[in-house]
Amino acid sequence: MPSTQTPPIAGVAIDPTSLRPPIDDATIERVERSNLRVRLETLKAEGYTMLLDLGAVDYMPREPRFDLVYHFLKMPIVASSVAEVGTPKRLRVLCAVNDGDVIKTAVDLWQNADWAEREIFDLFGLSFQGHPDMRRIQMPYDWEGHPLRKDYPLRGPGNERSPRPPFALKSNVQAGTPPTGRTLEALQEQVKKAQGK
Amino acid sequence: MLARLDDVARWAQSSSVWPLTMGLACCAIEMMTVTSAEYDIARLGSEVFRSSPRQADLMIVSGRVAQKMAPVVKRLFDQMADPKWVISMGACASSGGVFDNYAIVQGVDTIIPVDVYVPGCPPTPDGLLYAVNLIQQQIREGGRGGILARA
Amino acid sequence: MSMSTPLTPEIVSQEGNAMVLSMGPQHPSTHGVLQIMLEIEGESVVKAEPEIGYLHTGIEKNMENLFWSQGQTNAERMDYLAPSSNALCYALAVEKLLGIDKDIPPRAQAIRLLQMELTRIASHCVWLGTHAIDLGAISCFFYCFDIRENILDLQEAAGGARMHPNYIRVGGVNGDLPAGYLERVDALVEKFPGRMKDLRGLLQANPIFQDRTIDVGIMTAEEAIKWGVTGPALRASGVAYDIRKAFPYTGYDQIEFDVPTRTEGDAYARFLVRLDEMEESLRIIAKIRKVLNTPGPTVVDDPKIVAPPKETIALSMEALIHHFKIVSEGFRVPPGDVYQAIESPRGEIGYYIVSNGENRPYRVRTRPPSMYNLQCLKGIAPGNLIADLVVMIGSLDPVFGEVDR
Repeated sequence: MPSTQTPPIAGVAIDPTSLRPPIDDATIERVERSNLRVRLETLKAEGYTMLLDLGAVDYMPREPRFDLVYHFLKMPIVASSVAEVGTPKRLRVLCAVNDGDVIKTAVDLWQNADWAEREIFDLFGLSFQGHPDMRRIQMPYDWEGHPLRKDYPLRGPGNERSPRPPFALKSNVQAGTPPTGRTLEALQEQVKKAQGK
Repeated sequence: MLARLDDVARWAQSSSVWPLTMGLACCAIEMMTVTSAEYDIARLGSEVFRSSPRQADLMIVSGRVAQKMAPVVKRLFDQMADPKWVISMGACASSGGVFDNYAIVQGVDTIIPVDVYVPGCPPTPDGLLYAVNLIQQQIREGGRGGILARA
Repeated sequence: MSMSTPLTPEIVSQEGNAMVLSMGPQHPSTHGVLQIMLEIEGESVVKAEPEIGYLHTGIEKNMENLFWSQGQTNAERMDYLAPSSNALCYALAVEKLLGIDKDIPPRAQAIRLLQMELTRIASHCVWLGTHAIDLGAISCFFYCFDIRENILDLQEAAGGARMHPNYIRVGGVNGDLPAGYLERVDALVEKFPGRMKDLRGLLQANPIFQDRTIDVGIMTAEEAIKWGVTGPALRASGVAYDIRKAFPYTGYDQIEFDVPTRTEGDAYARFLVRLDEMEESLRIIAKIRKVLNTPGPTVVDDPKIVAPPKETIALSMEALIHHFKIVSEGFRVPPGDVYQAIESPRGEIGYYIVSNGENRPYRVRTRPPSMYNLQCLKGIAPGNLIADLVVMIGSLDPVFGEVDR
């Protein structure tokens, strides 16, 4: 049975930023994992004072598997009028990492990376070295598995009631998948009735 | 004589059903709206929403119950003193709603017994008022009410 | 019980009076399901560690399994006090990916702006009502929710539902404004300044309210930026960052409006900023109301993205086919990624959406403003009383559907 989360073979985004020119107002930059920490320190020194968001994306059959996405804003600290704020520069930094790689934390540079990194650990399984409190944040503390990975089923590991995925697109339902549950019973009833039993 | 006393007790209980503040998500906002001046649940007897489970009779589970919150809901239900009733407000509390996935308990009735289900996403405050009316009806007709009834 | 967390108290004071107390997740003053593990000595907080996740819904994973247009319903349920703002941000992001963001007709943009500002007022009404109730000013709650009823009636008229109207969609808005809508907006604009005067009269000069909120929860501009705080909390600390001005969207660059800013950075400043914002939103509504007098299309003219009007199905084969494809399969979005941010009543809400060419998103990451606003509690809570902590949470205005997603 195909997993509900197997990404379709056609059009997997290997590196979405390389597929077309940037369509929003952010400068996009890709760094290597070995260079990540140095680059972040340089960015902080250059004036990217606000880390807006830190997220991750799972590109499952790709090597390396995950992409860490940092969103920065070059916000002047003394900016008490709209004119002084102007249009701050946005920056997006992407870094490809693998499961089990050593990733240094960014908490000492931007304090709000704290919960963002905990969430990435919880939902993706990437842990950050040097984080003061690396434990789960969204799921219960004793939960097993990392839900936002592509090989984690949508309904949770024990709850796959039906081999038909919850989102039955033509391309991800194998031909010949039978209906399940009440539909199956109803069909069987109909067949029995038709056969006169 | 005892039956009369039972009726009086049920009348008293149904006229002063005090809910527990179990506001979880979007339905909680509609629950707050039901206490506001336009819908006014206080005229039905729910004058105050108690935050302590010891002082509440009715638990209105309003909103989606996440995996981390489920033991909390169960614990609060256990801490409520008998007799107690439960309204499962909204689609998420009744059956998981829009969210058929790993993170949401598919219906709060898998962990606590529910008396009235209110459909909607979120239900209008009128729906919740009708649900409280149904609870009052259930109390007056007996079963889980009355000073001599079973819990 | 699985609520045990590995937080162990560090006894800081000399007398050794520290106690660990769990405030929440069911608490009348935490504005939702928030658990704060407090280390307290008597009434004053030594350390506050908010624990979130009690409303984790897996929306981001859910959206990977829904059509692009269905994902918008899930997006609306994240920040449930301002559902139109989430819907707008998602729609703008998907439109950028589709490449139709320049083709949205001006009337649709004006309607979206109107919905955004109405939602902003409604959200601030709930904020003020619940904030005041936490401090004991219970009658303010009724005033605020009465204003909100008018706005919810308008949302119901436009979109069909009071709270999650599902009105702003990819490609425009779902149908034009109904007859009589603009007259009701006019009535609201006329009635509102009187109600605002009531609200200000109840709280602004109230000495008890001032005692409880002035100099409580002070956040300097540097601290606010360090914690990633955006929105009214940042503007109350002196940084005038408003995405409606910095990165305008949906017609905000054509409307003149002010951005209220304060420099004190305490809870009272945040209160004043939000009240000023409500009045400013009303002025914006009055201005956009004039633009809405001119009729026009309300959706982008692309039958592959927006289903054609239902009446044409009986007349045109192409309309029928387009309708069928859109309903059964949805539209496909070219691969790429985008980050779109707008100014929700709480701050900067951003959607980072990755598409791989299918008819459903590959990854939707939300930048939740409430999560970063709430995180700053770890920095500003120590040294205050528990009662002040309640004031601080109220003034930061978190919404847990967004924090936990």
